[in-house]
Amino acid sequence: MDRTATRNASLHPDTLKTVLAFVLAGGKGERLYPLTKDRSKPAVPFGGTYRIIDFTLSNCVNSGLKRICVLTQYKAHSLMRHVKEGWHLFASELGEFIYTIPPQLRVGSTWYLGTADAIYQNVYTLEEERPAHTLILSGDHIYRMDYRDMLAEHLEREADVTIAVLEVPARDASRFGVLELGPNQEVTGFREKPQDLDPEGPGVVANMGVYLFRTDVLVQSVCRDARRDDTHHDFGHDVLPGLVRAGARVHAHVFRGAGSAAMPFWMDIGTLDAYFDASQDLISVSPQFNLYDRSWPIRSAAIQAPPAKFVFAGGEKGRIGEAHDSLVSPGCIVSGGHVERAILGPGCRINSWSVVEDAILMDGVEVGRHAIVRRAIIDKGVRIPPGFQVGVDPDADRRRFTVTERGLVAIPKGENLEGLT
Amino acid sequence: MMRRILIVDDERHLRLLYRRELEDDGFQVVEAATAEEGIRAFEQQRPDLIVMDIRMPGMNGLEAMARILDKDRRVPIVLNTAFDSYRDDFTSWAADAYVTKGPDTEELKRTVRKLLEEREHLGPGEL
Repeated sequence: MDRTATRNASLHPDTLKTVLAFVLAGGKGERLYPLTKDRSKPAVPFGGTYRIIDFTLSNCVNSGLKRICVLTQYKAHSLMRHVKEGWHLFASELGEFIYTIPPQLRVGSTWYLGTADAIYQNVYTLEEERPAHTLILSGDHIYRMDYRDMLAEHLEREADVTIAVLEVPARDASRFGVLELGPNQEVTGFREKPQDLDPEGPGVVANMGVYLFRTDVLVQSVCRDARRDDTHHDFGHDVLPGLVRAGARVHAHVFRGAGSAAMPFWMDIGTLDAYFDASQDLISVSPQFNLYDRSWPIRSAAIQAPPAKFVFAGGEKGRIGEAHDSLVSPGCIVSGGHVERAILGPGCRINSWSVVEDAILMDGVEVGRHAIVRRAIIDKGVRIPPGFQVGVDPDADRRRFTVTERGLVAIPKGENLEGLT
Repeated sequence: MMRRILIVDDERHLRLLYRRELEDDGFQVVEAATAEEGIRAFEQQRPDLIVMDIRMPGMNGLEAMARILDKDRRVPIVLNTAFDSYRDDFTSWAADAYVTKGPDTEELKRTVRKLLEEREHLGPGEL
């Protein structure tokens, strides 16, 4: 079912050209450490061949939004390279662009103090582009969304700002900004991460961190916020509650998802455990988030690599190269090893008699003969020596690596395991 | 306590006029002839309010304003220019007020008084 065609019939294609998208991609992702040791959160690889930011950028392109500024700051090199290599599909002759913008220190001498400060420090870009409306997105989230729905509603309601919202169970409310709505979806109040709700109570309306502003209202708000020294310089904390108090037209747009999924899916991959769960979902037979949904494709940098290869069909002492319930990226060779419920990034090599189960291996990981890798996230380029065991002896794992509450092991990029016992 | 006003403008006659008028109103006045001088004067003199021209040789007043606000986000700044067109420029919107230069200094003086009064009645952080 193509829902987008019917829903956006009222939106003229030229209207999209009046919108500029800012993707906030400076997230440190401290709770994803060590995956964020050398990169910002949006640059963390996900789903074998993707990075987290690809989902938001795909939403932009699929929505027809092709004027995009990616605001980077923390450990930005990996992200800038990815955007350069993977997202150069814009026709500048048609006014399309994607820029990665590091902090200019044009206005501020520090890194961004908050989401609103990130926009304040880039007001110059807004003056250069003069969009009628500005879409503010996070580069940290996994979801499919047609921003045209939001734009159509924003225009129809003549809103100053429209906030994308989703309903979450009360027990999750403490992780979100929670909105109070009037009868016409107008926002009447805010509560940031309320701790006092009955976990069994009715669901609440949560702020997704996706905002569509009239640009003049945006500039006014962030300039006003920049002049204060008692705020977090954050949209959810300060700017939006301030606009509601001042009587601005703040509208809530209910997130409906895009593509052919029956249920809309949205996720902020905040922790290693959440990262692991989201990855396991991709593998499942009927995933909540289906990478293979061609009606709303997720794109990424093209990989120059040969097809995945599986060798040794059995014989010598159970030497079988096989993978079940797994995603195996191009360039991988499963050479006599056993892979189950795993994601292999490009160019991994799984050697004979090794076992990889419930694991995520990023680009170029090599698993030596007879090695075992269970319930683990292995970052790029790690060589697991022959016979080495990860996820087998919890005490040994805790001595050597980051281990999550739920017992997942994470091994950082390029870690040398030779000589470790 | 005598309030100190910093005037940043490359036109000497205008600075003289503003000095006379503002001193008559009981303010202490500090002058700077360029944006760069203005930033230095701000750091050394810590004025209570700044009147900032926009078009000046070298750095313009909008950039000087941004740099000053980076050091002190609360100091009131009045943009004062002969050109009304900067009013629409987003990079001018962080200013507390925008007063177009004219034969009469009354609007400028009124704005200065109003902003300083507002500051006295507000708690920390409010603007």
